[in-house]
Amino acid sequence: MMVVAKLARASRQLAGVLLIAFLGATLVFFVMRAGHGDPALSALGDLATPEAIAAFHKRWGLDAPLVVQFWRWLSGALVGNFGVSMTIAGGVPIADLIASRLPNTMFIGVYALVIAVTISLLAGTVSALRHGRMIDSAATSMAVLGISMPDFWLSYVLVYALALGAGIFPSYGFISPAESVAGALYSGFLPALAVAAPMAAAFTRILRTALIETLYRDHVRVARSLGFTGAFIFVHYVLRNALIPYVTVIGLQVRYLLGGTVVVERIFGVPGIGALMVDAAFGRDYAVVQACAMTFLVIVLIVNFLVDTLCNALNPRAA
Amino acid sequence: MRSFIANKLALFGAAITSFVLLAVLVGPWLSPYSPTEADFLALLAPPSLTHPFGTDSFGRDVLTRILYGARVSLAVSVAGVLMAALLGGSAGLISAYAGGWTSAVLMRIADLLFSFPSFVLALFLMVVLGFGVTNIAASIALIYFPLFARLSRNMALVVKEEPWVQAAQLMGQSTFSILSREILPNIAAPLFVQIALGIAFGIVIEAGLSFLGLGVQPPDPSLGTIMADGREYFQRAPWVLTLSGVAISIALLGLNLLSDGIRDVMDPKLRARL
Repeated sequence: MMVVAKLARASRQLAGVLLIAFLGATLVFFVMRAGHGDPALSALGDLATPEAIAAFHKRWGLDAPLVVQFWRWLSGALVGNFGVSMTIAGGVPIADLIASRLPNTMFIGVYALVIAVTISLLAGTVSALRHGRMIDSAATSMAVLGISMPDFWLSYVLVYALALGAGIFPSYGFISPAESVAGALYSGFLPALAVAAPMAAAFTRILRTALIETLYRDHVRVARSLGFTGAFIFVHYVLRNALIPYVTVIGLQVRYLLGGTVVVERIFGVPGIGALMVDAAFGRDYAVVQACAMTFLVIVLIVNFLVDTLCNALNPRAA
Repeated sequence: MRSFIANKLALFGAAITSFVLLAVLVGPWLSPYSPTEADFLALLAPPSLTHPFGTDSFGRDVLTRILYGARVSLAVSVAGVLMAALLGGSAGLISAYAGGWTSAVLMRIADLLFSFPSFVLALFLMVVLGFGVTNIAASIALIYFPLFARLSRNMALVVKEEPWVQAAQLMGQSTFSILSREILPNIAAPLFVQIALGIAFGIVIEAGLSFLGLGVQPPDPSLGTIMADGREYFQRAPWVLTLSGVAISIALLGLNLLSDGIRDVMDPKLRARL
């Protein structure tokens, strides 16, 4: 019975995810077309002759009704075919551009997430267990400073201190994890830290509050009166409960984290999806902008689905 | 004791925020310099008595540019977030009260907008709408629309069941009057917290877009364009990037402390435990 209920819930969530993905594709396609009537003009320039425009339309199927074009684009996108880049990398399939850059963005994203989770688990726990003391005030002040320091500004502080000043890390350039994982960990540290710091601050704040709330719940008092040790109570009765809001917030913040990679990739010269999207925005390569937006949307949807599943596992009552 | 400290922080936040507002409103008036006119006799001058924050590569006074730029950044962010609060808040209220398919459609739209990384959505909209001040505000409004819609809907769903709302219904008050006089005042405080947080994040969005060159266009100053300028000659004249960055952090710090403070005061249950 439980299994059936869980499967039903999971498939309902999956249907919701697919609906949002479809709506997202519709939005991205039609809004882009409404804003920029004709891709031919951006590829050929404003001075193109009507004949050249007509030929371009015929070649790329732009003479078909909009709904038919949308269907072609969508069915192509489903099998990973987003068409070709028109301006920034003339003629290269967009799928190839994305495939070569996705690992870098994923690497920076996961790296940043690991840094943020590590810092916040430590700082949140220490600050909750010692709340009201000096170390708690220090951690909470750091957290407020952290969320007041946007990633692009923090990037330069890090470059100034750790790259140009101390000379420990490179200030620009990235070694792809496909070439060398160690090189990627080293060259990606500053960009990942710049993305992670505001996240770490936000995560620490939520974990601290959740832990303090849980520390004073009845079930924890009962456990204490039964004589369990402090560490056992903390792991089994406090942390496990506090993890539910913590994991939920991490899921919600993933969209800020991915947004942060856009600017940071550009600053540190990481060839990722975000940097590609900015290049495409400058080059008016609308098909590439569309494909990047869809890629980001799909990543967020997948992560949210995983977070929901994890939260259900942590909280058996949710089923 | 703790509540006193929390209030002290809130007061501190309110003080910083008022200082920023005052600087932004009055500052540009007091400055003898123009934010855009070049002075080729004072290129990249370090901070001094005549130019407290130094000058940039066009010899423009950096303090003046920061004051004008912060005015633009703040105005864009406030306009965007207030638009989002108005539209999203109403959508959430209507959806909570009407239910049915209106609610389903509005919430699916909110879910959809909520699933894009915020900065990616902003970038996408800048490409569609074109770079420029008004469009940044529109982007911020669209990013924040789902947040206000969800927040006001969730709170209104709870308040709707309260006896005084049901009494108002029985007394035959119109739906509009129930929404505006019975429900809205009871969910206003969390909305204010979200507005303060939203304005802080809106400043980050504006600065990020302009920093990349996709937002406010030079020579117009905004916190983002000044930082982008400063990045070009960061090693020769570090004060331009550093001081504009510090200006952003001060503005964000004030807004963050203020919203923290309001939330603490609003939630006495949590405050008592902390």
